[in-house]
Amino acid sequence: MKCEEAKILMMGYLDGELSPEQKKALEEHLQECAHCREEWEKFSQLKKETEEMKFRPLPEMYWDEYWQNVYNRIERGIGWIFVSIGAIVLLGIGAWDLLRDFFLNPREPLIEKVGVGFLILGIIIVFVSVLREKLMIRKVDKYRRIVR
Amino acid sequence: MKKVKEEISDREAVAACLQGNTQMYRHIVDRYKERAYYLALMYTKNREDALDLSQEAFYRAYRALKDFDASRPFYSWFYRILKNLCINFVNHRKRLVRLDDTFQYEASNPEDHPEEIFERNERAEMVWKGLNELNEKDREIIIMKDFNDFSYQEIAEALNIPIGSVMSRLYYARKRLMSKIDEMSGGL
Repeated sequence: MKCEEAKILMMGYLDGELSPEQKKALEEHLQECAHCREEWEKFSQLKKETEEMKFRPLPEMYWDEYWQNVYNRIERGIGWIFVSIGAIVLLGIGAWDLLRDFFLNPREPLIEKVGVGFLILGIIIVFVSVLREKLMIRKVDKYRRIVR
Repeated sequence: MKKVKEEISDREAVAACLQGNTQMYRHIVDRYKERAYYLALMYTKNREDALDLSQEAFYRAYRALKDFDASRPFYSWFYRILKNLCINFVNHRKRLVRLDDTFQYEASNPEDHPEEIFERNERAEMVWKGLNELNEKDREIIIMKDFNDFSYQEIAEALNIPIGSVMSRLYYARKRLMSKIDEMSGGL
């Protein structure tokens, strides 16, 4: 076995992913090659160190409510789809009615049409702006889960 | 009852979910939640965001289940969703750091303080710092193997590379990590 091949196989050996034949071939090479053996010892040491790094455990209460939180998102996702479809349909109908009965009605005074037009436009701008701000705050507020 | 729950495979759970049985998704979430959370934690470096992102990834995976190829490992597929979420989160946070100087000190240093992630251990701190100095590709494969229990098959599927390449990439990544640690040890 060449050193290049042995070096790659060392990884499989460390991670328990080699076949018995590969293991045997690598062991034989390590007995013969001092350079690879030295490298193998360093890799083994690194593996040992990473294995000793223990994640800080998450308190049990977070695991207990984990599924419920995922489920809530799924349920709300479905809910939001229905809400969105309903809102789009109703807003479409409302907009059409407003256009037909008010904006396209020659008996309504022009000044009122201009006023209502600006009012609607202003509400839309404010709504979008507030929504965007809320979403931004939600993304960056580290303390959002703390009950104040 | 618990035994029955454990016997349900990913494939069966996915099939049931696709037929509208959302509760069956719990089998998948329970099976992978710890790996998902700890993986997200390696990116976000704080508990709240790691929980939020890992749960969001499960929700997005549920929505995309029809695109999942059940003949492949679920976690390899899920990993891509979670990783993208985490990378977007980290990039977004970096942009905020650039915009907001008052946030800078706190946000730029979590690499130096792994206590949010690992139990206190001096050597672990060095490995953690070395890991954070690696390029993204090296860091990713070491995290997958050494901190998220991926098998080589799962890594190959997730990164779309042959198993032989998994070993060679791990070799060079670990070698570079060792150099970083040696540099730091020498500097002490």
